[in-house]
Amino acid sequence: MCDQLEIDAAKARGRCLIVDDSPTVRRIAGRILRGFGLEVDEAEDGQLALEACVRSMPGTILLDWNMPVMDGIEFLRALRETDGGDAPRVVLCTTQTDVDHVQQAFDAGADEYIMKPFDAAMLREKVFGVAVGLGAGR
Amino acid sequence: MVATIESTSVADRVAASLRRHGIPPTPDNYALWYEYHGGRNASLKHTIDAIISNHGEFDENTLEDLHLCFFSLAREKKAIRDTSARVLETLKEVVFVASDAGADARQFGLALNDFASSAFGQRIVNLQQLIEELVQESQRMAGQSEYVSTRMRQSADKIERLEQNLEEALRDASLDGLTGIANRRTFDQTLRRLAGETMNSGDDLGLLMVDIDHFKLVNDQWGHQTGDLVLQHLAGILQKSVRGEDLVARYGGEEFAVLLPRTDLEATVIVGENVRQVLRRELQQGSANNTVAVTVSIGAAVYDFGEPLPEWVARADHALYCAKQAGRDCVRSA
Repeated sequence: MCDQLEIDAAKARGRCLIVDDSPTVRRIAGRILRGFGLEVDEAEDGQLALEACVRSMPGTILLDWNMPVMDGIEFLRALRETDGGDAPRVVLCTTQTDVDHVQQAFDAGADEYIMKPFDAAMLREKVFGVAVGLGAGR
Repeated sequence: MVATIESTSVADRVAASLRRHGIPPTPDNYALWYEYHGGRNASLKHTIDAIISNHGEFDENTLEDLHLCFFSLAREKKAIRDTSARVLETLKEVVFVASDAGADARQFGLALNDFASSAFGQRIVNLQQLIEELVQESQRMAGQSEYVSTRMRQSADKIERLEQNLEEALRDASLDGLTGIANRRTFDQTLRRLAGETMNSGDDLGLLMVDIDHFKLVNDQWGHQTGDLVLQHLAGILQKSVRGEDLVARYGGEEFAVLLPRTDLEATVIVGENVRQVLRRELQQGSANNTVAVTVSIGAAVYDFGEPLPEWVARADHALYCAKQAGRDCVRSA
């Protein structure tokens, strides 16, 4: 099944790092992603996330925007500057839904953008790049 | 020849996008979507794709923001409008200075007239020149005549009335005409916003779906005017039964929805019970011999984190259906 191929490809990319200061989000996203077979790590803010990436670069990052110590955009810019920091697929996941924020995110180097609240289908589509239930075009 | 064929198909795709997302076919919107389908502006395409894939809405605010972000001419136009607005604000203050002194200033009045009629069509450079001329004039004429004061007070009044009209229009777009509470669109937007916030906070978010029992009978027996009164009365009871941060909305013809942040299932059901009992007590219809109480059935459901929003609403609706099946005039939870 082509979905399974995409999921396998995502798994081959490596572990997924969830960066969010909300324990609820980390729990829910973690449950959903583990359900898809991904191995998941968590970080509460951008600073801890950066340290985790330096230790071992993840394949995918689910990134919140508003966090203490270091927010998502700061982290993202710093990540893209580090060695190998271009590799992870970064998905911004935030309650900020306006055009300015979306554009800022892509400018800073995000690959995808999810507006909270998310569900399993949205995570699957954005994290794995799988369009659920859609054909080649929209 | 090839270029012509290409631009035709882009035009088709633009028209299709405008239709699909319910976007008014204004020149500005057309330009935006032409850029999107033309494929040269990657940042624009990325941003619009993010909005589409997140099932976002292309409302007036979003479309205006897209223009401001990606079209520098739009930024200029907005800057001009903002500047003109600020100047008019300043001129309002000059009125108070002018009305105190009371000397003659016909020339100032003419300069003001010129400014007002040409301000909105100007490029920023010319506008700055106009503003400088006007400021010089007003400095020269400071402490002026009744003529000026009257003219400017009239302008100030007109500006205030226009601002009020605009505020009312914006409010009206988010409200239900009959009951004055939030309309369906506002409910959908608020549902999304609150669910996003509650996902972050981990708090409970409750939902009540309230439906009038045998509403068609009420309309048939007592007339639509009475039916409307019942709707208005129920809206009033709902509003009085909730706190400031809760949202009461008209979901459909005779169906209402209530969003209750930081409220667990038990508390949500209690709010529902309150509403049911108050309505039953307060609404009696008919002649002295034949009194019928208007009642409601209510379904309750609390948001389950990560659940698709339509599923959550469906669970509350299903609970409402169970309440009807159970004989109506009751509350059921999902």
